[in-house]
Amino acid sequence: MSETPHSGPYAASGLPRVADPDGNGVHGEHGHDEAMHGGSHGLAKYVYVFLALCLLTCCSFLTYSDFWPYHDRPAVGRTFMMIVSCTKALLVILFFMHLKYEAQWKWVLTVPASVMSLFLLLALVPDIGMRLRKYSEERKEHLGTRSDAQRIESASAALHEHESHDAAPAHAH
Amino acid sequence: MATVAHDAGHAHHPPKLIYQPALPLNNGKLFMWLFLSTEIMFFAALIGTYIVIRFGAVVWPTTHAVHLSEPIGAFNTFVLICSSVTIVLCFESARVNQPAAAKLWMALTLALGCVFLGVKGYEYQAKFSHNIYPSYPRSAIYERPDLYYGSAVRQRVQELMLKYAKLPPEQLMESEGKPTEEGRRLALLNRLKDQAGTADAQALVNLAAEIYPLPPAGSHEHVHGGLNEDEAWLRLPIVIPGGNMWASTYFLLTGFHAIHVLVGLIFFAIMLFTWKLDATCHHGVENIGLYWHFVDLVWIFLFPLLYLF
Repeated sequence: MSETPHSGPYAASGLPRVADPDGNGVHGEHGHDEAMHGGSHGLAKYVYVFLALCLLTCCSFLTYSDFWPYHDRPAVGRTFMMIVSCTKALLVILFFMHLKYEAQWKWVLTVPASVMSLFLLLALVPDIGMRLRKYSEERKEHLGTRSDAQRIESASAALHEHESHDAAPAHAH
Repeated sequence: MATVAHDAGHAHHPPKLIYQPALPLNNGKLFMWLFLSTEIMFFAALIGTYIVIRFGAVVWPTTHAVHLSEPIGAFNTFVLICSSVTIVLCFESARVNQPAAAKLWMALTLALGCVFLGVKGYEYQAKFSHNIYPSYPRSAIYERPDLYYGSAVRQRVQELMLKYAKLPPEQLMESEGKPTEEGRRLALLNRLKDQAGTADAQALVNLAAEIYPLPPAGSHEHVHGGLNEDEAWLRLPIVIPGGNMWASTYFLLTGFHAIHVLVGLIFFAIMLFTWKLDATCHHGVENIGLYWHFVDLVWIFLFPLLYLF
């Protein structure tokens, strides 16, 4: 079967059919560009994505505010923030980076890098994440602990109270 | 990749080779995506290491203990999101051959990027002014208020005392018997020297709290004051349990991100002042836009991890 620039497997797969020798100006991209942008409708899409990103940032910030009901359970807030961040990242990748409209090549370039990143993260756990299990007793002596922080926090609060008490009569005058 | 095209009737002619790229992308975009693939792994390694270190640590300082401000972080997130919109609108304008609009959006993106870096510089200054460095030349942050800390404070106090001890008495005391500024400082240094030289654990805790107070965990209040803030000339060693690791990870993550922002801004400035930004160069704008969105993407994860966790 003969293949011409306007037929064959590329046409069926939606891949570009004619390209110049430098690989620039792949003609098939023009149709793809139209599908990707779609004039004023495309601009409205960016505004919606922008509003969604702002809203999601406010959602992340909500965990810091007094309105967040789970301050006593940090894991809930952290999970919520990661879900929000992943949603934001997905919006940026799909719409601003146009991956929603790209052909199948997007998987070739993004999935291996993401999988390698995951392996990298897991590879760090034995040496870095569990490093404290291998510390010598001598090294542990110099390690700051939560109780050290609490002692300084209490002393800071007492000092602050003392200073406020000293300053109060001066204000009264 | 080459495809052989030939007619059945002319099989004896040499085959006509038609170039087909392996991926349906122009060279610039392919390069940018390959570069971004490496960047994904680079930042995933940094962020992953931070997460593993953070959750494997015995203690981690609260955001207010290290003078991080959540509203400022949220503002910077908003600035980067706005810049992502302006760069994508710049691309759209260039694509439909509206160079004037494209230049306006590019200039706005450049301005927003500068605002981001300016705010980041202000945040760094807040850390430096409180003696929080990753290294200076060794870190001024101590993990515990122990004898080593007391010794470090005493050493710094003695360095400072050398300057005042050589002053003649008339420079330390006014004629009415009141101490001069130099005299007041020398008296403070003498008190700190005695306090730092003690072996009493509670006295050292009090000294650490006086030099650099820590806010209660879970509190939203910023703690102001402390000797290092009220008497900035002292620059005494401070105690922040977990503070050294925090400083290393914070400055590394935000520093590399800031370098990426700076590189993006340099490219924006070059394109704004030397390119026409019309339809002929919309591929270039798309590529720098992809880079900028990636920079935004990294910050989307850095903001909650560094400011809100």
